[in-house]
Amino acid sequence: MLAASSVEMRKVNKYYGKFQALKDIDLSIPPGKVTCLIGPSGSGKSTLLRCINFLEEYDSGEVRIDGQLIGYDAPNKKMSGRRLREMRRSIGMVFQQFNLWPHMTARENVAEGLIRVRRISKADADRRASEALAKVGLADKSASHPSRLSGGQQQRVAIARAIAMEPKLMLFDEPTSALDPELVGEVLSVMRTLAGEGMTMVVVTHEMGFAAHVADQVGFMEKGELVSVASPDRILHRPEDARIQSFLRTYHERNSF
Amino acid sequence: MFSLAVFFQSFGPLFWAARYTLLISVLGIGLGIVIGTLICAARLSPYPPLRRFAAVWVSFLRGVPLLVQLLVFYYALPVIGLDVPAMVAAVVTVGICASAYISEIWRGAIAALPKGQAEAAVAIGMTPVDVWTRVILPQAVTLSLPALINELILLVKASSLVSVVGILEITRASQAQAATTFRPLEVYIAAACIYLLINLCLAALGRYLEHRTAV
Amino acid sequence: MEWSVLQQYGPSLLKGFGNTILCWALGTVFGMALGLVIALIQRYAPRWVTWIVQIYIEVIRGTPFLVQLFVLYYGGPLVGLRLDALPAGLLGLTIYGSPYFAEIFRSGFRAVPDGQIEAARAIGMSESDIVRRILLPLGLVSALPALVNFSIILTKETVILSIITVPELLYQVQRMSAETFRYVEANLVLALFFWGLVETISRVGLRLEARITKHLIERT
Repeated sequence: MLAASSVEMRKVNKYYGKFQALKDIDLSIPPGKVTCLIGPSGSGKSTLLRCINFLEEYDSGEVRIDGQLIGYDAPNKKMSGRRLREMRRSIGMVFQQFNLWPHMTARENVAEGLIRVRRISKADADRRASEALAKVGLADKSASHPSRLSGGQQQRVAIARAIAMEPKLMLFDEPTSALDPELVGEVLSVMRTLAGEGMTMVVVTHEMGFAAHVADQVGFMEKGELVSVASPDRILHRPEDARIQSFLRTYHERNSF
Repeated sequence: MFSLAVFFQSFGPLFWAARYTLLISVLGIGLGIVIGTLICAARLSPYPPLRRFAAVWVSFLRGVPLLVQLLVFYYALPVIGLDVPAMVAAVVTVGICASAYISEIWRGAIAALPKGQAEAAVAIGMTPVDVWTRVILPQAVTLSLPALINELILLVKASSLVSVVGILEITRASQAQAATTFRPLEVYIAAACIYLLINLCLAALGRYLEHRTAV
Repeated sequence: MEWSVLQQYGPSLLKGFGNTILCWALGTVFGMALGLVIALIQRYAPRWVTWIVQIYIEVIRGTPFLVQLFVLYYGGPLVGLRLDALPAGLLGLTIYGSPYFAEIFRSGFRAVPDGQIEAARAIGMSESDIVRRILLPLGLVSALPALVNFSIILTKETVILSIITVPELLYQVQRMSAETFRYVEANLVLALFFWGLVETISRVGLRLEARITKHLIERT
């Protein structure tokens, strides 16, 4: 069992100029559980996710990882870069566009953080990177550059890059949205394995099947509001809120032919 | 140490000399546009000898420093019996040099147009002449306006080199001032200020045109 | 040109050529270094510092190289900056090139996708590591064509140094033609020489560029 973090968000607000991207978000993410965030595009799901590791700077409210406030030392007093980096070390993130570094091989991509951030020797980092790549089923691709890999393989390398750092919390920002449909499965199955090991995961996704089968709780967002957080069954099969019903109706219409 | 009096007094004669800087730059770009358009047409023509000539023209003029071109022209013209004033030689040299760059600007702008533009025109039955005059050139000219203004700014700066053949533009005038006042620092900084002023105005004009033509 | 003329002036022409290459090479290297510093300042320094840097860029780009050299070489001694022609020329070339190089680096940095910087940030890399390991290598690749191109432009600017009596190639050619009265031939030969030089450097540059890009990005 991995050490797993919890996340508490209280009254989190985020503005882009006059536009309010997040409205009074309250969300509890228990340790070792999988939380999926769903909702129409532009609803603020990714913004919320990115506030958790402070890639997006929230304007008011609190985001706490294991009780520790991230991004601020006190209201309106930003945390030092060093402390922020320390906190980020235990939070892995996987992006929609993979964001692998094109000038490094798969193994170098994974080892980079171990060497630069965790100050592990090159030999050790290489060994751990190989292990992480083996875990996502890419042991044979460790010497390949990203441009030689399929989208699904790139995303698995990105997951390996995150888990090699031994995070206690993993954030997934639409990890399968940039993939061709036939490549989605391999990425989801790696994520499922990770969930089975007791990793705390927050996943922004459009994959309702994944949410239904893997999530412990599902949050539905619309227009910057977290409309509802409940069990997958409550949200996906017996939604009470009209907004969720209409979102799911559109989703099913688009996915039936 | 820095004499403000000398600095400000320099502006009078230097401004007066600036009309030659402007004259050479503006005439130079005019000539450059005329020759550059012909060269660009030759470059895009279906005749290999013409295309080759244009390519050599562009490569030579872009490969040889303007100062060397100036000296070649200045000394060569009298030898082949053309005893023209230095001013004419300067404008012709600057214009010919600019033509190489301007032909490339045209070429770039034409290449930047989506292929579909010409295809759409051909599809509705336009003649090749119509395709060029009605569809391609109007868009290419608009597209390349900022680049042309940029070229003009380059010419204003490059025109400082004609001081070596004795034309009394800003740089030459500032040399004369420096020699009489023995205060080169103040005078040359004043000259720099005038160039900067001209170029900032041109840059503002460029931004205005770009803004206005942006659809 | 007669053989004896070349024999007589050959050594000084060769020395001039040497100085031209020296000025170009050092001017390019120093100018690039200064340009890189400026580009990093513009990316990371506080707002008011970037404004000052922006003014520097506008001034250098808005004024002729020749006038900059005059200020430096003839004006410099008035404020205690007493330089020989060659070092003055080198310093001038460095200053003149720096804002153009800075602009090239800046757009090279802009071409690095934000996501790849964010990915580094998300695993807790420090800004200096991000610059060295991600921003520079990736930014350099996209800046390379423009860097090569501007370095070639700088070869041509070196002849302007002759006006402040830097003994580079054009200076030596002028001296020779003043003594032999072969102005037309000497300058024409010089023009052809530069043409060949620039064409050669461009070809080499293009090949180099293709190789580095391939090496850094694909390594197939």
